[in-house]
Parts: sequence; structure tokens; C-alpha cells
Amino acid sequence: MEEAPSVSPAHTSQDVLEMLSRHPHLAGLPVVENGRPAGLINRNLFMDEMAKPFRRDLFARKSCIAFMDKAPLIVPESLGVQELSFLALEQGGKTLKDGFIVTDDAGVYRGIGTGEALMRAVSHLQAEKNRQVMESINYAGIIQKSFLKASREALSETLRDHFLLWEPRDHVGGDCYLCRPFEDGVFMALMDCTGHGVPGAFMTLIMTAFLDHVLTASLRRDPAQVLSLVNRKVKTALGQQGGRLRQPDSSEQSDDGMDAALLWLERGGKKLVYAGARMPLFLLGAGEAEPVMLEGGRLGVGYVDTPMDCVWANQEVVVEAGMGIYLSTDGLTDQIGGPRQIAFGKKRFTAFLQAHREFPMMIQQARLKEAFQIYQGDQKRRDDVSVLGFRV
Amino acid sequence: MNDFHIARTDHTPEVDFRFSEHCLTLAGEAYPEDAATFFQPVLSVLERYLGSVDDCDIEFNFQLVYFNSASTKMLYRLFGLLHDSACTSNRVVIRWHHDPEDDTVLEFGESVHDDFNALEFVPIATPLAAL
Repeated sequence: MEEAPSVSPAHTSQDVLEMLSRHPHLAGLPVVENGRPAGLINRNLFMDEMAKPFRRDLFARKSCIAFMDKAPLIVPESLGVQELSFLALEQGGKTLKDGFIVTDDAGVYRGIGTGEALMRAVSHLQAEKNRQVMESINYAGIIQKSFLKASREALSETLRDHFLLWEPRDHVGGDCYLCRPFEDGVFMALMDCTGHGVPGAFMTLIMTAFLDHVLTASLRRDPAQVLSLVNRKVKTALGQQGGRLRQPDSSEQSDDGMDAALLWLERGGKKLVYAGARMPLFLLGAGEAEPVMLEGGRLGVGYVDTPMDCVWANQEVVVEAGMGIYLSTDGLTDQIGGPRQIAFGKKRFTAFLQAHREFPMMIQQARLKEAFQIYQGDQKRRDDVSVLGFRV
Repeated sequence: MNDFHIARTDHTPEVDFRFSEHCLTLAGEAYPEDAATFFQPVLSVLERYLGSVDDCDIEFNFQLVYFNSASTKMLYRLFGLLHDSACTSNRVVIRWHHDPEDDTVLEFGESVHDDFNALEFVPIATPLAAL
């Protein structure tokens, strides 16, 4: 709000004319009667009117209220910026052009506000709120990264030739991974929890904690059993024992879970056990071999629709020397882009793997990122993207 | 029953349920922050419609190009309703529009076809631009 000169109905249009020329920056001149706002004179409208033939002769000596807006927006100074901006919008463009009148809580005239000042205040408020949210999310991102750090280091220690691409869409996300070395091998998991952003990140913490807890030494060679136990835990913890259809009155019920692929890789790298829940495993043998995709189970882990006693299957792979082994979340294959604006797709992914089979994994990662970025083009990222690739 | 329409946004599909013509269409993309909240009213209105018709030829046009996992679950519920109706009282044709090169959408269609065999499934390869 700014303090502004005002006139009373006793002033004439001639007085207003003089006042406006003395204060060239004023867009509107408030009319105040007995301390209370009576209306607002818009400079441009007033000037236009007075410029018309005979107007000056007719009105110059009459009360200035002839040309005032009798219903400008009048607000108490205690009103918040957000409420004020909604009120201003309700009045159409008028308030932004002419400004508005500010009173104290008792309705006594205090000053005027301009549309420009209001816009500025709204922008500041918006920027400040944005900054707070982004700061909070960025910090959550630091926590999520440090949470994953141990697994990332374990991967580097156990797998000589590997890459792990982890790109959450919104700083934090629902994709995560776990790597736990044992004496006779290593257990790995790639998980795509429901949601992305902050809710997705919440789910990764829950899922990783459960997986961590379930994964005992005796179960390390049995990833399918690990999936079953995590499923049971998630469903119990999130109260997902209900029926198939979510009732309208039960909107509080969680229907969350994850797609996941779990791997047990024996020391020496000859044998791999894979169990997948809606997440396939891609294998690419050395030489000219065609890529092979092992499909996992079709049900996700957790979720209302997945039964409490759901079982997944272990699939054993005899790992040949030089074989490339890949896992990916659907954020990669489902991303919209390319000339046809369709999903990246599994075919394009396996074709990429074939074309880059000779390269070390780190180079494959760089090339994949590049190819994916080009495919995405100016489309928005739809989901979190994670890809794990390794050779033993 | 009144027709039901929701305009398309960046994150949510166009829902065009012309109950008067027994022609239902879902087009665009589906990745709302909360898929259940978006789809619940759609499922409810569909359920009411299916309960109100008998011995009818219903056409369902699937024209989505992207749907996240949470939306996929909701789509399964939607096809479940259509399937139940096709098992008991109506004939339902699913016209599955997909880009000729889009194996992701077609693959999802095939799994819907496998899981809901009472629905007549007609894949239609059309470039996205034509939709």
C-alpha cells in the first residue's frame, strides 16, 4: 500500500484535474468522504472524458464524483496478499488497471494499492514458496542419495564392469536399488516403487527397509522367496488386506507397492538367479547372440490386488563369459519421444544393447544417456529412470 | 444416462463416454499424481452405465499413448468392469489404437486381451498424429 493524495466529493473536477497534473505517477485518485472511501477516479478515463467537447465547461465546477468508479475494490490493510489477489481477479481487469483502496480494519481510508504492486507481491510470495519447497526437496534428495550410497559402493566393489544409471524425475524418486555382498556371491535389487517425487521416495525407504530386513543369509539364493516375504510385510504394514475394488469412502487406504527385479549372482559369476515382479531381465550373450528377455511375474509386490500369499518364480541363468546383464525400470522403456511421439520401448532398448555390446559398461551408460536424451527431445520426462548393467 | 466427459490435461486423459451412443473413448496420457482420485469417478460412472444397459453393443476406444503404473492398475479395474458386463449382459468391443511402431502400448493391449477374454479385442495400428 502507498499513501496517496485524495479528494472529497466537495472537490470539483477542476480540482481533480489539477491534482492529477501535480501527481503524474498516480493512476487513480481516491475520493474520501468523512474518512471513508467513496470511490476511485481512474486517471485515463477521467482525462478522456474531460477531453471531450464541452465536458470541461459542463463539469469543471461540479463535484468530481461524476467520473469516479463508485465500486472500486476496497480492502482492509490486514488482508493477505493471496486473498487480495483472488478478490482483484474477481473484479475482472479493473483492479489491476486502476488499483484498489486500502482502509484500516474500521473501514477508515488509509491509502491505495496499484495492480503493479500487487503483481509484485504475488510474484515474491510465489517465489518464496517455491524456494521453500525446492529447498526441502533438494535436501530430501541428499538424504536419498546418501541412503543409496552404501549399495552403490557395494556394486562398485563387487562388479568390475558395470554401470548404474539412476535419474529421479524430480530430485527424489520412487526408483531405488540395493546391493548386498555375501561371502559366496552378491544379492542385487532394482525397485520401482509407486509414485515419484516425494511420495515415491517415501516408498523407497519403506521397501528398502523391508527388503533389508527380510534378506537374511539363509534366503540369499532365493530371490523369489524374498519377494514373497516383502510382499507380505508391505501389505500388512500398509493395511492392504482389503477387497479388490477400492471403495469411495476408503480413500485413505493405500494401494502402493513396487515393481522389482532381484538377482543372486554366485561368486565366480557362473550362475545367476533372477526373480522379477513386473520387471524383466535382459541378457546379451557374447559374439553375435540375440538379446534374450526373461519376463518376471505379472503381479507387483504389495498392492491391494496382489494376494497375501503370492509367489514368484526363480529363474536360473547360466552366465557365459562376456554376457551382458541388464535391468531397467519402466521409466526408460515407457518414455514418450522420437519422431512418432511414442514410448521408447523394449525393442529400441535391446537394439541399443546389441549396437553397443562391444563397449565397456561405463561407455554404454554414457551412450544410453545420450540416446535416451535425444529420443526424449523436448518431451517432458514422464517417470524416474534407472538402469543397471554389468558383465561378469 | 447422461454422457460423461473430462477434458484432457498434460497428466490426465480425455474421457469421452458417450453413453447415448454406447461409444466410450479414453485418449491421451495418464500419469496423475494420484491415479485413484482421478479414475474413481470414471469407474463409478462406467459401473452405473453398465448396470443400466442390457443386450447392447458397446464400443470402447483405447487411445492412450502413455500411462504410469498406478494408472495401469486403474485401467485393469476398468477393463474388469467391461469384462464382467461382457460375461453377463452386453457385447463389448475394445478398439485398441496404437502407433504401428509402439510395442509398449500393443504389449499392454495383448495382456489385457489375455486377461479379459470376454472382450472382443481389435488392435488398430494408426499413427498417433491421425488420432
